[in-house]
Amino acid sequence: MMMVQVENLVKSYDGHTALDGLNFGVEEGDIFGFLGPNGAGKTTTIRILTGITKADSGSALIDGHDIFTKPGEVRKIINAFPESNGYYEWMTTYEYLEFFSYLYSAKRSKQEIYKLIESVGLNGMDNLLIRSFSRGMKQRLGIARALINRPRLLFLDEPTNGLDPKGRKDVHDLLMDLNQEQGSTIFLSTHLLDDVERLCNRITIINFGKIVRSGDLAKMERKGTIEDIFFMSTKEKAL
Amino acid sequence: MKKLILVLSTFFLGIAVNYTSASAAGHITVSINPQSIQANMGDKITYVGTITNNADMAVDNIISYISLANVTLGKEAPMDLEDWSANKAIKIDTIPPHGTYEGKWPMRLINSGGYVAYITVVNKEDITPISSAMSYLEIKRVIRLNPNNVLPVAIGEPALIGGVFMFIAFKRKKG
Amino acid sequence: MKAQYIIQKEIRESILTPKGFLWYVFTSVILSILSYFFLTNNELSLLDQSQMLYMIMNFITVLGVLMGLVLGADVFAGEIERGTLEALFLSPVTKIEIAAGKLGAAMVNWWIIFAISLPYLFIVGKGGQNLLRGILYLGILGTLLSLTFSAFSMGLSARTKSMKNSLIISFFIFLLAGSPVFLSAALRMTWFGKILDLVNPFADAINTFDSVVIDSQGFSFQIERIAIICGYTFLSLWFLRRGASRLEI
Repeated sequence: MMMVQVENLVKSYDGHTALDGLNFGVEEGDIFGFLGPNGAGKTTTIRILTGITKADSGSALIDGHDIFTKPGEVRKIINAFPESNGYYEWMTTYEYLEFFSYLYSAKRSKQEIYKLIESVGLNGMDNLLIRSFSRGMKQRLGIARALINRPRLLFLDEPTNGLDPKGRKDVHDLLMDLNQEQGSTIFLSTHLLDDVERLCNRITIINFGKIVRSGDLAKMERKGTIEDIFFMSTKEKAL
Repeated sequence: MKKLILVLSTFFLGIAVNYTSASAAGHITVSINPQSIQANMGDKITYVGTITNNADMAVDNIISYISLANVTLGKEAPMDLEDWSANKAIKIDTIPPHGTYEGKWPMRLINSGGYVAYITVVNKEDITPISSAMSYLEIKRVIRLNPNNVLPVAIGEPALIGGVFMFIAFKRKKG
Repeated sequence: MKAQYIIQKEIRESILTPKGFLWYVFTSVILSILSYFFLTNNELSLLDQSQMLYMIMNFITVLGVLMGLVLGADVFAGEIERGTLEALFLSPVTKIEIAAGKLGAAMVNWWIIFAISLPYLFIVGKGGQNLLRGILYLGILGTLLSLTFSAFSMGLSARTKSMKNSLIISFFIFLLAGSPVFLSAALRMTWFGKILDLVNPFADAINTFDSVVIDSQGFSFQIERIAIICGYTFLSLWFLRRGASRLEI
């Protein structure tokens, strides 16, 4: 079953076309890699699919719900870790996650929140103020927030930026866990091709607001490394 | 001869008196009412100035204003009426021949002591301003409220709010 | 309703903080100085108690409105600038619920200021006429004005997405609206002053305080002015609703 269905999505900002008739789909249960060079339209796509921004035209269905007409229904089952994420720095780790757990009706118990804090590698930091966190620690907290409602579809935009190798591994393990044990679909936008190789089963490459390559990663890798695929695709014209 | 000197002296005296009062009232005379007041600090009073045009022609564009001077021994000084009265000067467009104009000057008595008030009229046709007689004003000091009533609140409330904040901050730190 | 969690968060962020408490201590200190001078200074202590009460009521209203404008300017623009609004928009809370929550917190702020002012109102107006009626009208009209200007400032914050621009415009509106307090009696009698008085909910509020506290006039004299203030309140709420629902980051 298709978890994400995008048809002819168009979006312009101040005369610049960010998305130029985007078409793609993501199946339920995929760990979907969404790749492209800077300015290709990755973040714009995620912002439209999460309901932060509206498209100029086209359609986008999340689990059969139209994000433009039923954003409330969509937000119950998705969550996202955006590229630029701000935090309420006056809160502690626990307070921050508790606040967001209230906003999603599936309220997490105290123990569940502590477990979530542990799972992102912030053990023992539940009572620390966020303003004392390093960039990497904030990144982990953002991922914890994105998992607060056990989303069926999780959007991640550069989730391992700023993390040390252990941090990256923790995030990888967390995402694999989420996908395999909870059946969540993961939509991963990243420049780190290592992450894509390790996690994703399907990828789509976008350039100049259009899809340039799409398909099963394992099949693509028979023809070359992921770096080759990426660099070749971003030189080609759109499909 | 003596009779002639007496008649001529009387005649010229009459002219002089008339002239003196007419420079206070060549065309215009001014009077102030009431002529004396005794009141308390904080009271509101109103002076009424009656301006009479004694001439056969109308007078135009007259300016009339009230003045107040402190005559308390040791404190003699003219008063700035800014806080006493909102109405200081009145411009009168015209007074018809042999007509009168009544101007009102409400006043709030904001300080104790002895004062004199008088109304002055300025007419560009005359070479001297015309003033009324002085009205004597005696203002008694009145003690109103006990200011110590406000101190507990004035000091206590900011201290209380500060205390509440420190308590909350301490509780947060402990938690 | 999820707006209650937003209210709680806003109260903890803006009110239960050192900065928030500083505002309240500052308010209390100013009121302390004002009431002390009213009751001890030779010239000021000559004012009728009703006039003292009227002046303090005006000051409290000005303060409440000013704080509402400043807090309102931060509501959307500040969160956009700090990057925290996106996480809120990702959650199932609607934009209207977010706006309602933030407006609720602004009202809590006004009620705290009102509560702080009560001892001063009692101490200044004690024994004078119309104290309780004055307090009642201050509570009602202060709430309406605070709601009006807070909602307007928040709507502006949603449209400009810039805290600086939002604050500048809000202050300009505040100066215009507060001009009956700042302008002299003579200026208020000019055509400009009369027009401002007519279209200005702030002027309606202070004229109502004058009518109730100093002139002892009844409710029937206030109906028209209160209706105008309510009209502005609805207009501001509509402005906020529209701005919030159309907000995109």
